[in-house]
Amino acid sequence: MIYFDNSATTFPSDRVRAVISDMMKDEYSGNPGSLHKLGVSADKAYGETQAKVAKLLGASSDEIIFTSCATEGANTAIRGFMSRNSRAGRRVISTRTEHKASLECLSLLEKSGYEVVYLPVGRDGKPDLSELEKALTEEKTALFCFTLVNNETGSILPLDQIVSMRNKLSPDTKIYLDAVQALGKMPIDLHKMNVDMCSFSGHKIHSVKGTGVLYVKNGVRIDPLILGGGQQKGMRSGTQSLLLAKAFEAALEEAVETMDDSHGNAAKINEYLRKELAERKAVILSPEDALPYVLNVSFEGFESETMLHCLEIYDIFVSTVSACSSKAKKVSYVLLESGVDRKTAANAVRLSFSRYNSMEEAEQFIQKVDVIYDLYAVRK
Amino acid sequence: MSNVILARMGEVTLKGLNRGSFEIQLKSNLKYRLKRFGNLRIFQSQSRIWIEPKEEDNPNFSDEAAAKDILDAVCQVFGIVSVSFARKFEGDFDSICENAKSLTEYLLSENPDFKTFKIESKRGNKAFPMDSPTICDELGGFILDTFPNLTVKMKNPDFIINVEIREYNYVYSGKKMAHRGLPVGTAGRGMLLLSGGIDSPVAGFMMASRGMPLDAVYFHSYPYTSDLAKQKVIDLAKIVSRFSGRMNLHIVNFTQIQLDMYKNSPQDMLTVTMRRVMLRIAEELARKHDCKCLITGESLGQVASQTLEAMCATNEVVKMPILRPLIGMDKQATCEISRNIGAFETSILPYEDCCTIFVAKHPKTHPHPEDVIEAEKNLDIEDMVEQGVAGTETIEITPF
Repeated sequence: MIYFDNSATTFPSDRVRAVISDMMKDEYSGNPGSLHKLGVSADKAYGETQAKVAKLLGASSDEIIFTSCATEGANTAIRGFMSRNSRAGRRVISTRTEHKASLECLSLLEKSGYEVVYLPVGRDGKPDLSELEKALTEEKTALFCFTLVNNETGSILPLDQIVSMRNKLSPDTKIYLDAVQALGKMPIDLHKMNVDMCSFSGHKIHSVKGTGVLYVKNGVRIDPLILGGGQQKGMRSGTQSLLLAKAFEAALEEAVETMDDSHGNAAKINEYLRKELAERKAVILSPEDALPYVLNVSFEGFESETMLHCLEIYDIFVSTVSACSSKAKKVSYVLLESGVDRKTAANAVRLSFSRYNSMEEAEQFIQKVDVIYDLYAVRK
Repeated sequence: MSNVILARMGEVTLKGLNRGSFEIQLKSNLKYRLKRFGNLRIFQSQSRIWIEPKEEDNPNFSDEAAAKDILDAVCQVFGIVSVSFARKFEGDFDSICENAKSLTEYLLSENPDFKTFKIESKRGNKAFPMDSPTICDELGGFILDTFPNLTVKMKNPDFIINVEIREYNYVYSGKKMAHRGLPVGTAGRGMLLLSGGIDSPVAGFMMASRGMPLDAVYFHSYPYTSDLAKQKVIDLAKIVSRFSGRMNLHIVNFTQIQLDMYKNSPQDMLTVTMRRVMLRIAEELARKHDCKCLITGESLGQVASQTLEAMCATNEVVKMPILRPLIGMDKQATCEISRNIGAFETSILPYEDCCTIFVAKHPKTHPHPEDVIEAEKNLDIEDMVEQGVAGTETIEITPF
């Protein structure tokens, strides 16, 4: 099997599996809210995990909220911030190439009377910063809502420029960042990055589904999405899962440890595939400076889904647009918004890599692409 | 007192000397369709079929709400015109009043807005001391006294209480309309060409309603169509089988055949050529599985392959009759039936079906017979049919 669909999800690493197996023991199964010693020890372990995750992300322990996924993180941050800070302004600035988790929240805000300014993005997937400057000078802006690494193209946000523009022109504006595809693949130091809220997902870094983290900077006030027993300082009620928090911690720790080697490996695979695929007249849609873990490519003569199934015959797994929406027969809105023509976008397939992929797999992939072209190409 | 289902027969009762065989088939179909609802007694009296549980504690008969699923299932059996869920009991007029009262209480609890009613009565048992008009009068008076908020309305009341006096007494309210038709199994078997669209399941439904048991054939073109598309067709076959009964779904591996056609046949003739090959394969499968006709969901002029000329071109290659029950229907009418039989939501799922990927931009809509023959000149049709039949996977589809 060649698994090139790591931006959709990854498989749990051995370390994560071991941690989960260990955490299933009775001694770790107490409710962190209980007053007896099982609860106290679970609460202590939970606090330690929170501190470890915070450290790995360059944050403080009390800025870390464990969530079920990054979609929950996005909903909590965007909706929670806007409902809590009504005097911060009625305007949000974003792009139309965000993940649906953010876009649906923004759409809800629009229906509630907020104004959302969508900055145009270029062919490189980056928002037009002159438009950002213009939008900032027009009216008070409550929130920026951006993605650090685009999940379909790997395009990297010019975060430093955006942050300095915010600091200069609108220092009260807060920044929400979706860093799901960046986690474990590029250095994350939240305090240094100077963002206010940031969401992460565990299952994209070899943890399990159901694990996520939302960072909320000290001093930033948001309304919680989930109300209840007041766990996690009231920011996310519901009995904390020590097991899931530990699974996130283990995956993050491993990702950080292996980041440099992994990045080098992904870059090599990416470079090789770019070259080989371009020679086969495939159109590379990921920008040159994209994160090497994602390679979006359009195969002439193959609709996205056809190529996906052709590859599947050889146990090679890739994505068409983003996995969350691929059951709806649509062309990628991210590519269309980035200026890719509809026909090219309709043939786009996303390859996404992890530290477990190898050059041998990349070579086999190319061999199979040749076979598929021979057997199945339909050119209109 | 016990609860029973009263199912009324329709067209079957118009049959002459062979009526018995239709009734036997209908009862056998009901028995098959209702087997998951417990141990039942299904018997006939005149133009009615009675369905009652053999055990008293059958939960599907506990009340009107609990009986919803079994009533729906009875309605899906062709040959039945309508059904009612009735309270069956013995006794005098007081027992009728008592049952009518509890039925009214139930109806008012389910529909608090009900304000008007009427009584309809039939007396088969002439030994019963009151005649039908008297039963209506007396029972109407009783209901009015018991439920002071209700009034009688003869035209379009909110609800009707039906009373039937036979060997036993029966009280029920209204009837649920079924799909009529003739019992499946009373006509010869047909092979339905089932795609993932709206029309073909409706075509299958319509032919089954004339008593025709079905087999179905689907042309699968993986990797051009996904396994989700195949699953969608299996799901549609299952929906049709609720009405037609158990069927075999033959899934033809069509990929290589389609690629050969794509390479060796003119682009603008591809749709017609493909239809002709599909029908040849379908006919072979039909022969193999004892079917006497082919069924398609074609509707005249709907798409390129459904013009009269295109249909002539496809008719030419098979000897069996091709039944096209939707031929004169417009899309809206077909969609209505599709919704009515619960297929529409599945039919409109977005997965590609095998027709769309290989369709030329401008297919020939009125192919000339000579062009059709010319288009097949470079194809080894016999081999394609053989290959199609040999590469067929058959799945048994049941309604459950």
